[in-house]
Amino acid sequence: MSRRGGAVAWVFAAPALLVYVVFLVYPAVSSLWFSFTDWDGLSPTYHVVGLQNYTSMPSDPVVVQAAVNNLIWAVVTVVVPVVLGLALAVALNGKVRGKPLLRLVFYTPAVLPLVSVASIWGWLYNPQYGAINAFLRAVGLDSLAQPWLGQDSTALAATMVAAIWLRVGFPMLLYLAALQGIPQDLYEAATVDGATRWQRFWHITMPSLKAAHYVVIALSVIDSFKVFDLIYAMTYGGPGTATQVMGTWMYFNVFQYNQAGYGTAIAVVITLVAIVVSVPYVRSQTKEQTT
Amino acid sequence: MINRRKFLGLTGGAAIAAGLSACTGTSGGTNQTTSTGSKELRLFTYEDNSTVGLLKEQIKKFDAQNGTTTTVDSLPGSGAAVYPDKLRTELLGGKGPDVWRIWGGQIGAPFVTAKQAMDLSKYYQKYGWDSKINPAAVQGMTFDGVKGGMPFIALGIGCWYSKAAFAKAGVAAPPTSYAELEEVNTKLVKAGITPAGLGGKYGWDVMRLFEYLLETSAGPDLHDKLLTGGETWDRPEVVTAFTNFKKWQDQKWLPEGSVGLDPAEVELWYVQGKSAYTITGPWTEAQGIQAGGKKSADFGVFELPTGQNPLRHSGFVEGYMINAKAGNPDLAAALLDFLNQPSTHKALKITASVVAGAEPDQATLPLSYQWAKGPATKPFYTIQDQAFPKKEADQYFAIQSDVLQGRTTPADAARKMQDVIKAWKR
Repeated sequence: MSRRGGAVAWVFAAPALLVYVVFLVYPAVSSLWFSFTDWDGLSPTYHVVGLQNYTSMPSDPVVVQAAVNNLIWAVVTVVVPVVLGLALAVALNGKVRGKPLLRLVFYTPAVLPLVSVASIWGWLYNPQYGAINAFLRAVGLDSLAQPWLGQDSTALAATMVAAIWLRVGFPMLLYLAALQGIPQDLYEAATVDGATRWQRFWHITMPSLKAAHYVVIALSVIDSFKVFDLIYAMTYGGPGTATQVMGTWMYFNVFQYNQAGYGTAIAVVITLVAIVVSVPYVRSQTKEQTT
Repeated sequence: MINRRKFLGLTGGAAIAAGLSACTGTSGGTNQTTSTGSKELRLFTYEDNSTVGLLKEQIKKFDAQNGTTTTVDSLPGSGAAVYPDKLRTELLGGKGPDVWRIWGGQIGAPFVTAKQAMDLSKYYQKYGWDSKINPAAVQGMTFDGVKGGMPFIALGIGCWYSKAAFAKAGVAAPPTSYAELEEVNTKLVKAGITPAGLGGKYGWDVMRLFEYLLETSAGPDLHDKLLTGGETWDRPEVVTAFTNFKKWQDQKWLPEGSVGLDPAEVELWYVQGKSAYTITGPWTEAQGIQAGGKKSADFGVFELPTGQNPLRHSGFVEGYMINAKAGNPDLAAALLDFLNQPSTHKALKITASVVAGAEPDQATLPLSYQWAKGPATKPFYTIQDQAFPKKEADQYFAIQSDVLQGRTTPADAARKMQDVIKAWKR
């Protein structure tokens, strides 16, 4: 690009860059700075405490619990929706009656406001009047009826079920789009060669979805590490601290415990983890663009 | 020590910094309130839809008398778990209200400590609030000796019950001792009725039950000392309170899985016929019973019996604060004084006023009137989410949650609570 062309490009990019710097870079740099301070989140002054907020994290039992919960959450709410989404996409890409309606049904949860999702599942899980326990009691499985959100042993799993219900539509939609791009003659040739349905899926469909896998998995992983709203609305991190994740614990420290310095340090850690897990996705995208 | 101005100076040019400070919600040390003129005020509150109209009517009167324009913003139904966060964000974003409503104790304290709320001492003197307002309520809005807020209401927590549920269980009259309360619970369970409709999400309102049990086993003196760290929690009275607490869940005197239930829903069960009673404040008569289309005559209220002398119930204070950076603090103080006039309280249908001559109307709110004339005149202990800073209160709730689930024994719970208090006081 010529020098003149470069200048023009900068002029065109300037509005977007300005928005990017104002709304992303500056807040991010500010947060990084405050993570090295003891700011309470309300006072006009604070002290620099170096790495103290970071070094004290391992001795905070809730941080440890939140990190473990985040890990469990990431594995379960990535693997299950991705597998289910792929299965639904493959099924709905074939000859199925009422295909448009089914696509709509499976994708609808993804567009619902999270607070509504939390309310819906909160009612379903209500120990005394919820549909889940009512169903279990109706079929004679009274012993399986639980206070799902009211005990440590089931609360996290219960919120993950809601998250799976919510998320399965997103990978389904991406996989459906990717499936449309696979040439049909590949399948026809394989069928002529005597390949079974499984062989066709494994040797044609799966490799052809490689780019979609990157997008779906990377975005799902990033999303899972940012989890906050569903937990906050369904359990408020409880009972006790049983469903605390890094996002909610960051929020509690910054906004409720007057420990903004410590809370932003947790936010920085969450960001770093999200960056690390998104590296393969970014690399794959840049690789595609350069080839 | 670094202030926010120095930091901004280090991070960029003044023009960019001015724009950027808004996006991070920082004040830069020069923020102003939304007052654009000396006659404009903004009031932030958490009135719900049934009462915010009454407030706006009174504010109109104030505006007409003073030539002001006052905007009222409300965040209905948000509660002490959410509203302070919104307020904090507004203050840090430089769009703080001139006047805001807030709970007392440890919920309001951070705003005074951080000097976001102004010291109202001179206005206490100017308007004679010390002599007009209930002294216990003034104490609830005084933070480390600083009168950071003007009390508005002082609410007591009692037992609000359905007469039909009690009658169905063969309970002729409210209990007069803790042993009798346990008997009432047993009868209710036998009649197929869940006794106490309490939910523990956000720590509320299972906490109200535990603080009552602690008052019952420890008595007023010890209870007060425990709340301030003056006595160790690792003692038999506290263990007894936790043991009784667990008993309530085991005997099904609480709803199944009560710690995970939303109090906003469960509290109304006694009105809807799903439980016999709840432990709450006088607002439930207008917002629960009457808003639910029921008659006050079908319900009753009594002070939970502790067997202690004096008989106390839990209570808390709510009031108003003035922004330390308010454009016109004198006018803001005049608004506060107007809001605390007995005639304003009556117009606002306040059921727990801190000023004399503003008792609730006996004809329209008979149960609130009964409470105001009886228990409300007695001393109360601080409700426990105001007695401790939020972090310690949450740790306290977590211990209570563990006890109810059987994950911690009552003796361990008492020891853990002492650890929480020790760390707080350190």
